[in-house]
Amino acid sequence: MNIYVYTIRRSLYVIPILLGVSMMIFFLFNFISGDPTSILLGPHATAVQMAELRQELGLDRAWYFQYWDIVKSAFTFDFGRSWTTKQQISSMLSSGAIPSMTVSIPAFIISTVLSISIALLISFFRGGWLDKTVVFVCVTMMSISSLAYILFSQWFFAFKLGWFEISGYENGFPDFVPYVLLPILIWVMMTIGPNVRFFRTVMLDEVYQDYVRTARSKGLSEYYILFKHVLKNAMIPIITYVVIQIPFLILGALLTESFFGIPGLGSMTLDAINGNDFPVIKAMTILTAVAYIIFSLITDVLYTVVDPRVRLK
Amino acid sequence: MLKQINTLLVTTIFLFFLLGGCAKKVDPNVKVLNFVISSKVKGMDPVYAADKYSNNEIARVYEGLLEYHYLKRPYTLVPNLAASMPKVSADGLTYTFKIKQGVMFHDDICFPRGKGRELEAADFVYSIKRLADPKLQSLGWWLLDGKIKGLNSWRKKYSSADAADYSEVVEGLQALDKYTLQFKLARPFPQFLYSLAMPFTFAVANEAVTKYGKEFLNHPVGTGPFILPAFEQSNKITYVKNPTFREKLYPSEASEEFKKLGYLADAGKRLPLVDKIVVKTMVESQPRWLNFLKGKLDYISIPKDNFDTAVIPGKGISDKLAKKGIILLITPSLDVTYTSFNFDHKLFQNKKLRQALSLAIDIHKVNKLFYNDTGLPANSVIPPGIAGHIKGFVNKYQGPDLERSKKLLAEAGYKDGKGLPELVYETTASTTARLQGDLFVRRMALIGVKARIQQNTWPEMNKKINNRTAMIWGIAWSADYPDAENFLQLLYGPNRAPGSNKAGYNNPAFNRMFEVASRMQDSPERTAFYERLNLLVAEDSPWIFGVHRQSYVIKHGWLKNYISSDFDSGQAQYLNINLKEKIKKIEVL
Amino acid sequence: MGNITKSKSLWSHAWSSLTADRMALISMVIIGTYTLIAVLGGLDLIASDWAKEVGPSYAAPSWDNLLGTDIFGRSVVAKVIKGTEIAMSIGLFTAIVSTVIGVFLGSIAGYYGGKVDEVIVWFYTTFASIPGIMKLVAISFILGKGLFAIYLALGLSNWVHLCRLVRGEVIRHKDREYVQAATAIGGGNFRKLFKHILPNVFHIVIIQFSLQFQTAIKSEVILSYLGLGAQSVPSWGTMINDSKLELARDVWWQLSAATAAMLIVVLAFNILGDALRDALDPKLKGK
Repeated sequence: MNIYVYTIRRSLYVIPILLGVSMMIFFLFNFISGDPTSILLGPHATAVQMAELRQELGLDRAWYFQYWDIVKSAFTFDFGRSWTTKQQISSMLSSGAIPSMTVSIPAFIISTVLSISIALLISFFRGGWLDKTVVFVCVTMMSISSLAYILFSQWFFAFKLGWFEISGYENGFPDFVPYVLLPILIWVMMTIGPNVRFFRTVMLDEVYQDYVRTARSKGLSEYYILFKHVLKNAMIPIITYVVIQIPFLILGALLTESFFGIPGLGSMTLDAINGNDFPVIKAMTILTAVAYIIFSLITDVLYTVVDPRVRLK
Repeated sequence: MLKQINTLLVTTIFLFFLLGGCAKKVDPNVKVLNFVISSKVKGMDPVYAADKYSNNEIARVYEGLLEYHYLKRPYTLVPNLAASMPKVSADGLTYTFKIKQGVMFHDDICFPRGKGRELEAADFVYSIKRLADPKLQSLGWWLLDGKIKGLNSWRKKYSSADAADYSEVVEGLQALDKYTLQFKLARPFPQFLYSLAMPFTFAVANEAVTKYGKEFLNHPVGTGPFILPAFEQSNKITYVKNPTFREKLYPSEASEEFKKLGYLADAGKRLPLVDKIVVKTMVESQPRWLNFLKGKLDYISIPKDNFDTAVIPGKGISDKLAKKGIILLITPSLDVTYTSFNFDHKLFQNKKLRQALSLAIDIHKVNKLFYNDTGLPANSVIPPGIAGHIKGFVNKYQGPDLERSKKLLAEAGYKDGKGLPELVYETTASTTARLQGDLFVRRMALIGVKARIQQNTWPEMNKKINNRTAMIWGIAWSADYPDAENFLQLLYGPNRAPGSNKAGYNNPAFNRMFEVASRMQDSPERTAFYERLNLLVAEDSPWIFGVHRQSYVIKHGWLKNYISSDFDSGQAQYLNINLKEKIKKIEVL
Repeated sequence: MGNITKSKSLWSHAWSSLTADRMALISMVIIGTYTLIAVLGGLDLIASDWAKEVGPSYAAPSWDNLLGTDIFGRSVVAKVIKGTEIAMSIGLFTAIVSTVIGVFLGSIAGYYGGKVDEVIVWFYTTFASIPGIMKLVAISFILGKGLFAIYLALGLSNWVHLCRLVRGEVIRHKDREYVQAATAIGGGNFRKLFKHILPNVFHIVIIQFSLQFQTAIKSEVILSYLGLGAQSVPSWGTMINDSKLELARDVWWQLSAATAAMLIVVLAFNILGDALRDALDPKLKGK
């Protein structure tokens, strides 16, 4: 089987997954969301008004119509209107995406590059005190709750020391920059631990391979081996690991956005969860799931292309 | 390669910090109000203005026939877009308004040549019909439901049609000429005028509704003192002064309490007094606090049931804050907190049990922990400040009195809690609400009653209360308008959930008396009725009464004319900023 | 038979390398201590009076109250100890739930292959596509509130990774000679799976179990933030969550105490997990 056929076959596999996701979303959310009318109409609602609204929202239709709506929305991205803000969800998504990405993308890049560099460095000194210390610090950093990071950083770095804006957001570059610095920093602090650990493991996996031993016996310098061979070969799992994280960047940083007043998709999702705003919850779930499916497809194909060792089945 | 990436990275980080470093200074020529709200505004359409935040935002742009006098207490209605108070017919059923001439809508592309046109009586007819429009599912329909002649049948007629016909004349809601508006009520409704000061009935332009359709909620076009060019779902809303605002002046009369405090300094000045308003949304309390302390917000109101204050319990503001020119305002608010029983549970129809539980609660402790000891323990349902509240009356079943509580519990048939099922106290997920639930559980334990708390999101809890599956829950009611009827209706039998009587309390004697009182015009007789109702409820203990809260606001010294009020929509036009003071103070914060 | 001796030597080798690792030893002692505290707390032998007022509201740390008091004047020390019980039980039961599901589905998929495998792979791919927080919220909505719901919600949303690993290992093992040999002497499917294959993937399970344990403890904070956490009992999550009202008035002790308590045990699990991996994962053996 050649690579093209594989790609096509792998792409077709997206369809059952999408159907599965839409089914799961339907079961998870339509069944539990129940009747939203009393929430929407406030404390003075009457039974007649509730019935009218149910009809207006299409909640009185048969289940397969409601299921079909979900399937349709996965392709058209038309999610209707939010129950709480009454806004078009697609426009909420597009206006929230940019603020989220101004935090998540720089944070993601910084964290990834920084972690790879650190991992390379400590695999060079593997087993030494530097390696041990860095790993210990990384593990310590990932053992702290994200909420504790946020609460403490906002209070200490932004308020007590005044190094950063406490919260807020402005649209447009470079106005947003001061507001995203601390959120980015928190993101990096939270992700660098697991990243370094993973990259280190991947690199050590390579270091103990036979070809490295051969190279070493040939008298090549450790430095050369590390950059020329180890990094190159470790790139495959690294890229896979990195690419598969991308879809979740859409969700942004839930708590961070909420605490720092960044009007992104993360805080929108939290608002929706707190407000039982099921159309928005569903939309975010579908969006992330679709992105996840697409990116896993990309990683799979990439993997096959770059690593001839992977057997095409 | 990696080296280059690293260099690039370091440079970018450095640049970021450089950019972040240049903080914005206060502009000495522009007066800006900096406000914060704790939840997102739900669009800018008056018919959906059901929560306090949306109310306030909408009232910056839109206006109604009447408003509350800014500097008078007790709350007094005065004309706003109406030229004067209405003529009321002898039977109290017909209200005739003259509206102000020369009031212009904001300039907007929905009007010919982008120029706002003059406001007419017909605009109110249109706006109030929108409130009744079955297709819009407005949140304010309860306000006028069954009260205006012909409006209910108009609503009903179009409930299954595709769209409502606004040109059809409704008998009780007519524009007699360009500036004359007449309401005919279906039955006496003494609270009617209050509803005309609520954002639900504010004037919108049908051109804007037609032009923007479903997006109307993002394009507010009103007659008010501020303009919001386009509403975005972000965490920041910026209003600018309306250049075509009519000549409206800061009041030159005030209640004595305000005169003394210098609230008349701006008397006779043209409104609004500031150039810009910036409203930010901060869901979490930590950033709200920290931003205020840094001077980025002019004031924050401390959530009423929140102890996270810089206030010394029972005293006032801490020295540290006072030195920075921060001022604390404590104002009684028209509300009542309570713990409600679900009367669908046979259990709670036992009056002695209700009284026993009430006696177990240590209201002073509640007050101390959650209201900084400034709430007024509630003896019944009507708060001080409105007719019907009885000064000096003490509810016999107000806790804490564990001895009597245990005795009554035994009399109720549950000696030491034996035979009682576990009580479930529903609360929202907020930290404070949970802590209040904790306290309830701990008090119950003292009389041998088993209880536990159950956390919910607000909508979940709402649902449980509405479909009557909740057992016990803590909640509060704030006045929609300053009339005891608004509180007593919470216990009126026919209003049972999903109506506003969530407890499902149903006492025929109460119901009969309420029906009479709710149709009476304000008079000593009506007050007597209100008082009797109030006493009846106190004895019957359908709820465990909590406190009448005080609103807590801490503000910076540079914010002038600020008053904490229960009906503060439209307030921003009266506020002023002392820029010199602000520039000086912000340095030291 | 040769296989079993091999696996035995793997375990004894692992044990000796674990005990030789000082950090791993310390971690085990820490986890042991936490477990002891949790058990004693569960038996109401310690911190059963955590709800008692021991001082004024928000008293700063002092000799009377080592870590200060909370809003009700309750001892933060007692709350941390009571919280240990909650945290450890959440860690343990969540890890059990996710391990059982992961191992069961993973080994069946890997062993039987074919349609069974396809269905299971389809199911977990679908499941993994849905963001974790949405799964947590949805499952909590269905199951209601309380500790039991937390165990299930966290467990149900965390089994996919283990399932994948187990499936891969089982596939790797099932064609090996010793399994073939078992088939030749007429071993049934279950016997083969449980007697011969599973012991060989057990090291993965152990490593994952220790990781799941600490992930669950951390996730409880987020659940508390969303109001889906422990009810009526103090947990580290609710303590951290409460501190968002406290820091602005310089009350830092509740946040610090809960964070530190969590940090130490999560750190210990992480280090132990690493040490286990080093000791058990044949790929890294012989380094």
